[in-house]
Amino acid sequence: MSYPFWDVPVGYGVLMAVLAVFHVFVSHFAIGGGLYLVVTERLARRAGDTARLEFLEKLSKFFVLVTLVAGALTGVGIWFIIGLISPTATEALIHNYVWGWATEWTFFVVEIAAAMIYFYGWKTMTPRAHMAVGWIYFVFAWLSLFIINGIVTFMLTPGRWLETGEFWDGFFNPTFWPSLVLRTGVCVMLAGLYALLVASRGAAGESRDRTVRWSAGWGVAGLAVTALCQCWYWKAIPAEVTAKAVAAMPTPVHSVEISVWLAAGIGAALVVFGLLAPKRLSFGVAALLMALGLAWFGAFEWFRESIRKPYILAGYIYGNGTEVANTERYKKEGYLAQIAFKTGDDGADLFRHACRSCHTLDGYKPLKPAFDGTDRAFIAAIVRATHLLRGNMPPFLGTAAEAEKIAGYLARRTDRRPMAEIHKLEGVELGRKAYAIRCGGCHVIGGMRDVSKSFEGQSAEDLNNMLNSAADMGEGMPAYTGDAAERKTLVSFLQTLGKGGNK
Amino acid sequence: MNLPDYQFISAPLWLVTLLHVLTLSLHFMAMNFLLGGVLITLISSARKRWDDATAVKFARLFPAATAATVTLGVAPLLFLQLVYPRQVYAAAIVSGWFWLGVVAAVIVAYYALYRASFAGQRTGTAGKAVLLLALAGLLYVSLVYSSVFSMAERPALVRDLYAKDPSGLVWNPALGDYAWRWLHMLLGAVTVGGFFIGLLGRGDSVVFATGKSFFAIGMAAAAVTGAGYLMSLQSSLPTLMQSPAMMALMASIVLSVVSLHFFFRKNFWASGVMLFLSVMGMVFVRHTVRLLRLAGEFDPASWRVAPQWSPFAMFLVCFVVMLAVLAWMLRMFFGAKKDVA
Repeated sequence: MSYPFWDVPVGYGVLMAVLAVFHVFVSHFAIGGGLYLVVTERLARRAGDTARLEFLEKLSKFFVLVTLVAGALTGVGIWFIIGLISPTATEALIHNYVWGWATEWTFFVVEIAAAMIYFYGWKTMTPRAHMAVGWIYFVFAWLSLFIINGIVTFMLTPGRWLETGEFWDGFFNPTFWPSLVLRTGVCVMLAGLYALLVASRGAAGESRDRTVRWSAGWGVAGLAVTALCQCWYWKAIPAEVTAKAVAAMPTPVHSVEISVWLAAGIGAALVVFGLLAPKRLSFGVAALLMALGLAWFGAFEWFRESIRKPYILAGYIYGNGTEVANTERYKKEGYLAQIAFKTGDDGADLFRHACRSCHTLDGYKPLKPAFDGTDRAFIAAIVRATHLLRGNMPPFLGTAAEAEKIAGYLARRTDRRPMAEIHKLEGVELGRKAYAIRCGGCHVIGGMRDVSKSFEGQSAEDLNNMLNSAADMGEGMPAYTGDAAERKTLVSFLQTLGKGGNK
Repeated sequence: MNLPDYQFISAPLWLVTLLHVLTLSLHFMAMNFLLGGVLITLISSARKRWDDATAVKFARLFPAATAATVTLGVAPLLFLQLVYPRQVYAAAIVSGWFWLGVVAAVIVAYYALYRASFAGQRTGTAGKAVLLLALAGLLYVSLVYSSVFSMAERPALVRDLYAKDPSGLVWNPALGDYAWRWLHMLLGAVTVGGFFIGLLGRGDSVVFATGKSFFAIGMAAAAVTGAGYLMSLQSSLPTLMQSPAMMALMASIVLSVVSLHFFFRKNFWASGVMLFLSVMGMVFVRHTVRLLRLAGEFDPASWRVAPQWSPFAMFLVCFVVMLAVLAWMLRMFFGAKKDVA
């Protein structure tokens, strides 16, 4: 709250994902591709395979253009964007890991210089010196991953750092090694996928087939390492985090499911078009493999980002930038007293700092549809109980008056008509909608805090009485504020739930 | 649980400042060669001072200069964010879209420079067009940096601008704060660009003469805009005049002139060293100006210092290794080129 809030119409998650997923897709290739180039060059030189050497020279041009420009600069871009969307967390990371980043910078400098010398040195350097530069490139690129991996994994599993604050305790954290080996596997896999893309453009013949098989082998090997490490990585995450994810967080769970299917697709395509029928590897298939690889990496990174919720730095800073260490201060003094940059509209400022990092009004993770047809009192109750909602949200630590201000801000922007009119629904379907909006945030049918069974055998009168006393039923329960028509259909829907239907 | 406090810097302030000034000076040298070099190449080609072959020769160097500019720019930005996060991020957020546009502009400029580089002898109007595109990208970056970093020195202005518009589409309206500064930087780039053009074209009398002209004229013009920049500091100027930075400024001016003298005598080593020291002195002055403008709002000496010596030692060792490996690789590369020649 020491920083202004960048109020953009795009969801922060989307903005970050677009840049970060593209960057990791290129930067991991930058490492694996370096290894692929130098190992393949060594084999080609030994065998006197000039066709393969020509292919490598072509690949290295593609490599330099992709990694040095798009890869390096999107990496810088991540720096730029995290400073805009998560300045508090970025500040905390820089203060703790400045020497880690400075060390990584020395590797980065060597990496970039080596890549350029390797590319420009094909015709002028001796094979021995050229390959030595290739190895230097790979080693320093991998060391760069080593450092960044320590900082990225720290964000999810800071381990003993939360007690000691020591650099190394945070760096060598519980997910450091599984993540490092996993990402090394990804590097190898992507080297194969990128090489296949370049190889697919080559002239048909025995040389092309050999290159395709060889590159597909890299893809398969990298994929195998990655798949095994994904299990290791999952196990290294504290059990309470994974258990919570399975119980209440659909995003990381779906991301894992998607990544498994995508990995299976990549594996199958590599075996069929790379190893068994290399002649059939067209540019389209290679491009599809690249797209699958990008999607797989996106799913993995989405998982890593979403399972960290409600934190951006686990146990330390919440996703909205509020700091765990300041909990008591927020509760006592409120958020407004901490917000350094204000616009004059308290409701808007509070909404930005408490909610807007993850939610937009009607775009990414929209709040408007979540509150359409409700009222200020209901919204305020939900704001006060965010920590109970599914999806593992940060707690609201401000004062009750501040929750009211946020509710007022949101209520002015939501549709105040009855739900029946907004959604053009009636009967049980309207009841289902009312349940989704008023109850489903905490009570997921067939999932987290499912209370369906408690409605079994309850009469309409019982359920009406329950709605009347909803606010007294436990922590975070809002009073029921719907109109008579909505109430009637909600009661009908609750009765169907009690009968085990409508799941 | 008592959670660790992140409000600290992990090395003494003087050490972080030294590293910031050193790495920023290195970044400026590379950036000046890039920006000044592209500008000089375009002007010389347009005025038919050079043939296309000479333009191609320089165009081939620009991707490497871009790589050097980008990599050498990372470290000073890191050290700046370590000490001035509140000021820099706040200003960047107010101009968020322009700030983010820097990345896109550099990518476009970089690819344009590679395009010009690979075009080889085919460089003609199309080659110049891509160089112009690259120049536009580089100028955009320089303008955004001048605007955002000067805004970062005025926290009250940042607060006012944000209160009016939190969308990140605000351009720093205090033109007087950074117009001179930007012009001075631009002409400084022409000066250093002239040095490098002359150095790399020392075997060709026309190219050397071009480098010499831009070096000398750029320096004179940079001196004028530098004076304008000093005047624009207004209330901070008297304090600056009494600070050690004034000595650094005087030394930098003398070093620049001596550098020019050695350049004219084709003693490039001496000239280059003097020029670098001069840039370093200017960067130190720039650093002092930041402190003066932030006085009353923020004092970096107020940071709690909690050194992390073992990670620092890791950095130091890796820094030395970096220098050694770079030297070895460059020796291998240029040695091999000589053999081929």
